[in-house]
Amino acid sequence: MTQMVADAVRQVGVNFVDTVTMLLPRILITVSIVAVGWVIAWALKWAVRWLLIWLRFNHGCDRIGVGAVLKTADLPPADILVSLIVFWLVWVGFMLSGVDVLGFTALEGMVRSFALFVPRLLVAIVILVLGVVCANFAWRATLIAAVNARVPSPRVVSGAVRALVLILAGAMALDQIALARTIVLTAFAIAFGAVMLGLAIAFGVGGGGIARRILDHWFPEPGRAEHEEFRHL
Amino acid sequence: MADESLLSDDLLRQLVAVGHVDILVGIPTLNNATTVVDVVRAAQAGIGGYFPRARSVIFNADSGSDDGTPDLVRDATTDDTGTVTASRPLRTTQRITTPYHGLPGKGSAVRMIFAVADLLSADAIVVLDPDVISLTPEWIPALVRPVRDTTADIVAPLYPRAPADGPLVTQLVRPLVRAAYGWRLQEPLMGEFGCSRRFAGHCLERPAWGSGAIPDGVDLWMTGEALANGFRPAQTALGPRLLARARTRPGLPDVFQQVMDAVYACLEMHDSYWLTRGPAQPVPCTGTLPGAVEVGPRPDVTGMAQAFARDVVALHPVLQKILSDATLAGVTAAATAPGPLVYPDELWAATVFEFLLAYHRAVMTREHVAQTLLPLYLGRTASFLQQYGSSGPAVVQDALESLGQAFELAKPQAAAQWKKA
Repeated sequence: MTQMVADAVRQVGVNFVDTVTMLLPRILITVSIVAVGWVIAWALKWAVRWLLIWLRFNHGCDRIGVGAVLKTADLPPADILVSLIVFWLVWVGFMLSGVDVLGFTALEGMVRSFALFVPRLLVAIVILVLGVVCANFAWRATLIAAVNARVPSPRVVSGAVRALVLILAGAMALDQIALARTIVLTAFAIAFGAVMLGLAIAFGVGGGGIARRILDHWFPEPGRAEHEEFRHL
Repeated sequence: MADESLLSDDLLRQLVAVGHVDILVGIPTLNNATTVVDVVRAAQAGIGGYFPRARSVIFNADSGSDDGTPDLVRDATTDDTGTVTASRPLRTTQRITTPYHGLPGKGSAVRMIFAVADLLSADAIVVLDPDVISLTPEWIPALVRPVRDTTADIVAPLYPRAPADGPLVTQLVRPLVRAAYGWRLQEPLMGEFGCSRRFAGHCLERPAWGSGAIPDGVDLWMTGEALANGFRPAQTALGPRLLARARTRPGLPDVFQQVMDAVYACLEMHDSYWLTRGPAQPVPCTGTLPGAVEVGPRPDVTGMAQAFARDVVALHPVLQKILSDATLAGVTAAATAPGPLVYPDELWAATVFEFLLAYHRAVMTREHVAQTLLPLYLGRTASFLQQYGSSGPAVVQDALESLGQAFELAKPQAAAQWKKA
């Protein structure tokens, strides 16, 4: 009996040693892949950063308003952010490849999932950037038009336009990466509908007088604005 | 040389029948039935009364009027009950009216007029505005003589103006053209003008004219072309310029956009000239200078001044992208200072040049740049009228001269930054 237990324990020990013996090279390979991946990712990060500096990427981002958004959100400048994204995407890819080498059944397919996820993440980032650009353009156009049309509180109106476009872009980006899709879509639909309903009630019921004045301004009766009383040319 | 594809076969036949002319009066029209007859009669009387021996033609380029304008031009007579002509011309003034095709607008019409003038070898060309109801026969010799006497290639008008009249010209376009092009031209936006065939031929040779690159403000473009290419400018005194009340006239934002686009396009086209141009020279003037315009009570611009204060605060984030810190601080201080609005000449000159630099650098779309300048322009107008709205002509003239000098002083720095951009 004792001999049987001892044999069983010895067999388990031998099996364990065999497993470790088989796993050790894989672990070494995985660590090597991760280390090499880090070096490659680091090199790519600096190459991308150098390229973006040479292309004056930050200057372009400032012109379209992305730079200001990053500054407001306390994020690093655009070229550093892009290079960081490249670094992490490459290194995470290598890490997942290394994990795949270990041969754990539960982790199989992670590389493939990651490879499918990366393009969607990139598209989501593009959607967000385009959303920021469109939001800034719409904000500026609305502000200038509202000022020249003597619309009351032009900054509030233009700010609301920018917020709506940003929310829309954010919802589209989250939907693209399928992150909490149902919650995001439902929340967006509820919020957007509530804002529109609120504006309709506020404007139609509470702001009737203001609406009349705005419409009178847009479609004036004889009796013109002061600056239209004399000819400018 | 004119592009003959501008001229239809039918028109060419008519022009060949006309032959060489000494004077061509061009009238671009679009639904001007209420005013064009008087314009044609005045042109006819001017030619007949002052150039009886000249071969002449009145050429109407119509852009598709649907109120019978071309028929009225063709059928207009100079016979008018109660009017006795002192002399009868020795030659008949031909009259041709034709539709023009291509890009709509005055630019295309003037291009056709120049093409016809070139084909007819007209020595002097006059282009009139069919909306002007104060046009008299004396305008024709005033615009023609400097060209026929070969003392000028382009003759700009001089109108008497009240302080509140034409601030877009007096506060922005005139001082800017003076500083940039180095000529003290009073009316750079020539509503009507005279020019030589040499100048018309030069304009026809510009490839940009047929391509749509010339902005809607073709008048300013022609002024710039003349000044930048060595053509001799002159200005001639005409009477007050009164326009018919139009059924529809573009609003101030559209007009302002058009003028700013034209100004910028001209500065960009001619930058090799104006960046090195020195101080402004006077432009030779013919005729009796316009008399004093009756000045009424100062216009009430309180609302404009208050709107300026609000608008500067509201547009602050946009102005930060366009104006330098010093200029923005000055504009904000002017807008928010208690008491009457004062927008100094130097600050206004700096504002205008920095906006043009913003155009040049494309810090944002050009429409946004122009529309952002509009409230500042209205503020400047309010400031000027508050100070000089009921002043006499001499005081106003001194104020405008001071403004012109301020623009000239601001130009070198703007030119340096333009080159860097």
